[in-house]
Amino acid sequence: MTETTEQAKEGLWGREGFREDPYVTAESLEDAGDAAAVILPLAAWLALPEDVRFDTNRKIGVSIAPGEKIDPLLPSLDRIPLIALQFPAFNDGRSYSKAELLKSQHNFKGELRAVGDVLIDQVAYMLRTGFDTLKVAHAVTLSRLAAHNLHDAPVYYQPGRGSHTVPGAYSWRRIPGA
Amino acid sequence: MYRYDEFDHAFVSARVEQFKDQVERRLAGELTEEQFRPLRLMNGVYLQLHAYMLRVAIPYGTLSSRQMRKLAHIARHYDRGYGHFTTRQNLQYNWPALADMPKVLDELASVEMHALQTSGNCIRNVTADHFAGAAADEVADPRPYAEILRQWSSMHPEFSYLPRKFKIAVTGAERDRAAIQVHDIGLQLKKNEAGELGFAVYVGGGQGRTPMVAKKVRDFLPVEDLLTYTTAIVRVYNLNGRRDNKYKARIKILVHETGTEEIIRQIEAEWEAIRDTDLKMPQRDIDAIDEYFRAPNLAQRPEGWSKLASERKADPAFARWVDQNVTPHKNPDYGVVTISLKPIGGIPGDATDAQMDLVAEIAEKFSQDEIRVSHEQNLVLPHVAIADLRIVYDLLLTDGLATANAGLITDIIACPGLDYCALANARSIPVAQRISERFGSPERQSDIGELKIKISGCINACGHHHVGHIGILGVEKKGEELYQISLGGSGDEICTIGDITGRGFSSEEIVDAVETIVDRYLEIRADKEESFLATYRRLGAAPFKNALYGETANAA
Repeated sequence: MTETTEQAKEGLWGREGFREDPYVTAESLEDAGDAAAVILPLAAWLALPEDVRFDTNRKIGVSIAPGEKIDPLLPSLDRIPLIALQFPAFNDGRSYSKAELLKSQHNFKGELRAVGDVLIDQVAYMLRTGFDTLKVAHAVTLSRLAAHNLHDAPVYYQPGRGSHTVPGAYSWRRIPGA
Repeated sequence: MYRYDEFDHAFVSARVEQFKDQVERRLAGELTEEQFRPLRLMNGVYLQLHAYMLRVAIPYGTLSSRQMRKLAHIARHYDRGYGHFTTRQNLQYNWPALADMPKVLDELASVEMHALQTSGNCIRNVTADHFAGAAADEVADPRPYAEILRQWSSMHPEFSYLPRKFKIAVTGAERDRAAIQVHDIGLQLKKNEAGELGFAVYVGGGQGRTPMVAKKVRDFLPVEDLLTYTTAIVRVYNLNGRRDNKYKARIKILVHETGTEEIIRQIEAEWEAIRDTDLKMPQRDIDAIDEYFRAPNLAQRPEGWSKLASERKADPAFARWVDQNVTPHKNPDYGVVTISLKPIGGIPGDATDAQMDLVAEIAEKFSQDEIRVSHEQNLVLPHVAIADLRIVYDLLLTDGLATANAGLITDIIACPGLDYCALANARSIPVAQRISERFGSPERQSDIGELKIKISGCINACGHHHVGHIGILGVEKKGEELYQISLGGSGDEICTIGDITGRGFSSEEIVDAVETIVDRYLEIRADKEESFLATYRRLGAAPFKNALYGETANAA
């Protein structure tokens, strides 16, 4: 599982720009101390008693590794404030499909976060598959995001979030813009 | 043919601009080769043994004369005067300078072409029957669906980082000329009892080091469901395909390890959830794309038949070319012409700039401005009047393009091999050249009949050796190039993977070994009508192994 890295070198980014991260990433609730918002690995989250897991006094999010399934989360999606999908390597694309499933098919309303090796060329794809925020460690990505250079395409050949249809265009085509 | 609209133009030019910026940063040293690698691969730029290589996408192998002239121009100005047509209906330039790449991409964009998704772990250039829209045996033209898939798969946000590359092939006829069963997804257009159009869907075929014939996962998928169903398949693959081992990462391994029944269950479950979403295609969109591929209005040319009869009589070489390289067209006054890029002793798939220009000119005058690239590394003129065959032949003859060997033993597929490729273990091209020379006599070839030899220079099988009637695989053993032979492979509708005969042969021995196999075939075939493949299927490998290794070798 990802160790809590130095916050200074990372940034939390969403469509509106960089923002403060209220969450602490920890291996267990004990490790998190009295933090008000915590992200736990899936196994640690599953091991919590229900009343703690869905405690309304603190936010507990779940971190999912590429090899882990999202199925255990599905019955309680409306009570999970945040799901972090990991990208330990830029070329592992499983989390894109999970994002699409969570947002489109299972209607997850909480924060969907991408965590890990986020390259600038992937940011637009992440937003389009449903990620709300990106926890970015990559220096080039950080500077490009700061300059608001998303490397996005001017038009899309697929439906997806953050895009809209064009009257008269083929049904699968979209243009950017929420 | 499909024509770009503003949307497509905006998309491609934005990608070119982006790549320009990346190349500039690389040349300025701001990007290391390591950092540049994934970026250049997305634009079809490989680093090969001697130089960068650019792979240009030719969607479903269809080209206009204008596009072919541009390819010739690029070969002339940015390469060494030639290009190499590949088994994926693409074109590769082997010698362009990195600094020129953005200019080349600009040139390509000016004729609605690009090099996107010709590499990387994404959905690659979609291939189709090279006789599409012309073949007499076609149920429907597969290209509109290939075009829809091309669009939908371009820079797909969910499917650009798959476990491995992903290849889709579409055919519109029962007779499979697109080798769909050795693709990740193979689609065969067909009609159901109600006369509606749909697809038989095959999943999990492929070659490489673990060759597999695809499994049929659906007998009939209505055309409107093409994108939802494809999404379901690719999503199941993206989530569950293996990523621990590059060599086990293709969908064929997932299908094999999961089992066909279970994989079908997963695909169908995913499809149920999305079949009525935005990706379900309205008929009007299918019709609009279809319109681009509407069959040309071909003038009646009934004079061709009597003309042809006398032309044939006057010139046996022309008659042989017509018999071998012209295939029936939907319109009886027309034929489909295969232009062989396999001159005897030549490099399979190579064409010079002058040859490309010539083909462009002929296509413009005599084939409705249309050219196709076949996965067998030949070019095709899809709509030639029977009455014009002689003049087309004469023009082709002027630059060595009239070799009458389509489908014969010298119509060899070969990958670039160790002469160019960084992955290869052995040379492919020189072996192809020597086999071609050995069997070059027109009479001998014609007596042997249909026989597909396919040669790969390494286990990745770009030369499709697994589905060669005679397949040759180059391997490296103790510093020597060694060639393994397999027999009985076939990439058509009765798809089979060839069986390895036994120990390999040295570069010196390999041509003799092929000749031994061919001679044995000639001895044991039932009659001249029985092809090599049919004979192999009837008698199995034993007679050929005996011929190669002697009786004892076969005892075990």
